[in-house]
Amino acid sequence: MTDGSSAPGWLLVEASGAPPLLCSGKRRRGGAIEKTLDGLARLIRQALASEEIAARRGLLQRLDARAKLIGMLGLLIATGLVRHIPVLLGLYALTLVLAATSRIGLGWFAKRVWLFIPLFTGVVVAPAMFSFVTPGEIVVPLGHWFGHEVGLTRQGLTSAALIVCRVASSISLVLLLTLTTSWSRLLAALRALFVPRLLVLVLGMAYRYLFVLLDSVAEMVTARRARTVAAKRSRRGERLVATFSGGALFGKAHALSEEIHQAMLARGFSGEAASLERARIGAIDVVALVACLALAILVVGGDRALGL
Amino acid sequence: MRSGFESLLVGDGLSYSYLERFPALEEVSLAVSRGERLALLGANGCGKSTLLKILAGLVFPDRGSYRAFGEEVNAERLEDEQFSAAFRARVGFVFQNTDAQVFSPTVREEIAFGPLQLGLAPSEVEARISDVTRLLEIDGLTERAPYQLSAGQKKRVAIASVLVMNPELLLFDEPTAGLDPRSRGWLLELIDELGRAGKTIVFATHELAELEWIADRCLVISEDHRLLAEGAPSEILADRELLLRANLIHEHAHRHGAVLHSHPHERDHHS
Repeated sequence: MTDGSSAPGWLLVEASGAPPLLCSGKRRRGGAIEKTLDGLARLIRQALASEEIAARRGLLQRLDARAKLIGMLGLLIATGLVRHIPVLLGLYALTLVLAATSRIGLGWFAKRVWLFIPLFTGVVVAPAMFSFVTPGEIVVPLGHWFGHEVGLTRQGLTSAALIVCRVASSISLVLLLTLTTSWSRLLAALRALFVPRLLVLVLGMAYRYLFVLLDSVAEMVTARRARTVAAKRSRRGERLVATFSGGALFGKAHALSEEIHQAMLARGFSGEAASLERARIGAIDVVALVACLALAILVVGGDRALGL
Repeated sequence: MRSGFESLLVGDGLSYSYLERFPALEEVSLAVSRGERLALLGANGCGKSTLLKILAGLVFPDRGSYRAFGEEVNAERLEDEQFSAAFRARVGFVFQNTDAQVFSPTVREEIAFGPLQLGLAPSEVEARISDVTRLLEIDGLTERAPYQLSAGQKKRVAIASVLVMNPELLLFDEPTAGLDPRSRGWLLELIDELGRAGKTIVFATHELAELEWIADRCLVISEDHRLLAEGAPSEILADRELLLRANLIHEHAHRHGAVLHSHPHERDHHS
């Protein structure tokens, strides 16, 4: 420090007030901030893992995104129309075979599907199993209520199982499509299937800038953690931090969006999105597409043949 | 201004305020010759980026006029389809924030954006992409997403996306900021080469070490957003008092043993 420095005196003496650099044995509690940070890191890792799977040399990765998209749509509609559990189980088994031939780990794949089901479907399906929602033959009696026997009915259990199987097969199909197709190819496929180009452009940019903003959030959270000395905690404090961070992020996003617009204008953007259409449909894509659609028709036809 | 060259850009009394309250540029006039390499020098926040954005037709001055390629440039004329396309095709702008500039899902689509907007045939666009990615040594990255790239790679993509349109005028905002030494050296060589190929280049910087290499002339903008001086890099760099006033160097004091002495100091070099 020079003689002409204007730094206050306390800054020029050795640090005081910091506790001794020793372990006390008391563990620090991880707060919401740490969890947020870990969540962000996990999200980015997952996106990178998906891109890595899309780059593997498997069966579905070799197919054109448009063929895959139409084929999967056909199978999804068929899944929605099927009314027999064994047929749905057959479809689910087919998705597992496709996952295996596309070099996706079966355990990992199944976990991603079945983790969703209790969360989203369970809430809807659970009441349908009881006799007061779906009357019928009680197979698991649970007692009496106002003189009526209450329990799980055969009809209720069957319809719950049907919905769970249908959701599992549908999620598996969608996952197969999104895991084996890179985001940019999927967007190009949407464009080819008459989704408005501007909408596809916006979707592409939203995904692109999600990562930039996630980085900003991670930086803000890390900067706060780096300056957190004592474990002074309060719900109100955490809420305030979240509010201010959210505000700062909103400001950043706004400034960024203005610059992006200028960058687009500078390169001649006139409100119309253009793109390099490049992918060509090959024989293998046509075969796969026809096979998917034929299978979809066969599944629905077979299901109808089994009766109601 | 170098004699024997016609003026490509002429700005007269340019003033601009953000939100009509925060002045960014006050009464700045400039002329840029065809084929010239002009450096805009000034401290952070002096208005260099704003001036570049005016030259690129992205923001419009509150007062003053701007002519480029012999034509008046203003918001109304840029609303015209043909004028806008012709102007954008001639002017390339490399932003300081590459994240703002690289907005497409893949490198390939990013580079294709400009030429496709200008209505070039897809086969021509493909050929240009392959040439420009080879020139900038990013031909192995074309299918990558921007978030998978390093800062240096992203800068190359941003430059490729501008060069692919083959503009007459190139505007660079702090081109070497945040780059590692190798990327920085590479970029300065590229700017030098483009200048020698006859491109007109205007760039904003506060890095004095690069000036004599890549600039024919400098404009110095003061911290109160006015034009402070103009001249050849050697003249500007020799004027220590001017550089101190523009906050481009600072009075540096240090001890040699017991003796305290002070002298002007720039980031990279002792003078």
